[in-house]
Amino acid sequence: MSCSFSKIFSAARTGSKFVRPTYHPGHHHQRLLGSPPKDGYLYVNNKVPSMDFNDITDRAAQTMFFTELVRGFGVTLAHIFKEPATINYPFEKGPLSPRFRGEHALRRYPSGEERCIACKLCEAICPAQAITIEAEERADGSRRTTRYDIDMTKCIYCGFCQEACPVDAIVEGPNFEFSTETHEELLYNKEKLLNNGDKWESEIAANIHADHLYR
Amino acid sequence: MARYFGLDRIFTFLNTIKEAGGIRASLYKLYRMDNLRPGQLVGTDKYGNKYYQNPSYFYGRNRWIEYAPYYGMEYDGSQVPAEWYGWLHYKTDLTPDQDPSRPKYKWMLDHTENLSGTPGQYMPYSTTRPKIEPWIPGRK
Repeated sequence: MSCSFSKIFSAARTGSKFVRPTYHPGHHHQRLLGSPPKDGYLYVNNKVPSMDFNDITDRAAQTMFFTELVRGFGVTLAHIFKEPATINYPFEKGPLSPRFRGEHALRRYPSGEERCIACKLCEAICPAQAITIEAEERADGSRRTTRYDIDMTKCIYCGFCQEACPVDAIVEGPNFEFSTETHEELLYNKEKLLNNGDKWESEIAANIHADHLYR
Repeated sequence: MARYFGLDRIFTFLNTIKEAGGIRASLYKLYRMDNLRPGQLVGTDKYGNKYYQNPSYFYGRNRWIEYAPYYGMEYDGSQVPAEWYGWLHYKTDLTPDQDPSRPKYKWMLDHTENLSGTPGQYMPYSTTRPKIEPWIPGRK
């Protein structure tokens, strides 16, 4: 298909050569064919074009605008038949890196135990101060967070939190389709972050595996 | 010979309509997806979304998802589950059943779409007990 349309395209380009105006000699030099030569000879060479300012501007306008119009239509017609360079999102999606930093998630160990030990390194390194952590001793004596809030509207998605984390608990997952209608919905708490981790663990683990040789 | 005159395109077109399930179904697909293209079915996830690919299209358009029929016109980009997310975003060429780096734990949750603006939307709440307890006058 593209072959035949490129023919149309090139035809439109070369076709303009036939439309491009040639030199028209001035009217006072013009002589009707068939009438006898006045001075005994017929001048057959190219006439010197009229150098009146009007004639010069007319010629320039014809060359510049009239053929450009036709050639422009040719280009437009050719582009109708070209394959679009855009993708058809939500059905097709653009390429993404395993290092992409999207929506945050708190991960768990394979046993189902949450990883975060409330060391607060992420809270300390966060340049936007978007993370709030409160910790308490759990009933079994382990140190865990009771509050892990991220203000996603403060977050600048720099990825320092996941770099700082010693147990790979907080990660920036692959998801970028978490836009909301209200501000409150972006004030994530611990349960929302753990839910994100449980939902996206398959992709998060695959991303970490894809990148493990470079770390 | 048929290829020289571009006749194979007609056969591909007719095949595409046949695969979509007839003229009515093709028109519906065209209305729903703005696109009707031939492609091989690569897999189906547990929510009923179908994944297609056709390497003759350029990189970025050669993989696509057909959202499950029950979504109707309410399809959304966030309905792609985590298992197929990497394949659809060209991170990996392996489908989830071929990929050994994808774990399956029993605590993993089902995928949900972005529920913003629906009754199921997330609303923030405190996960700790308040540090200041208000004085209620009537109580001793």
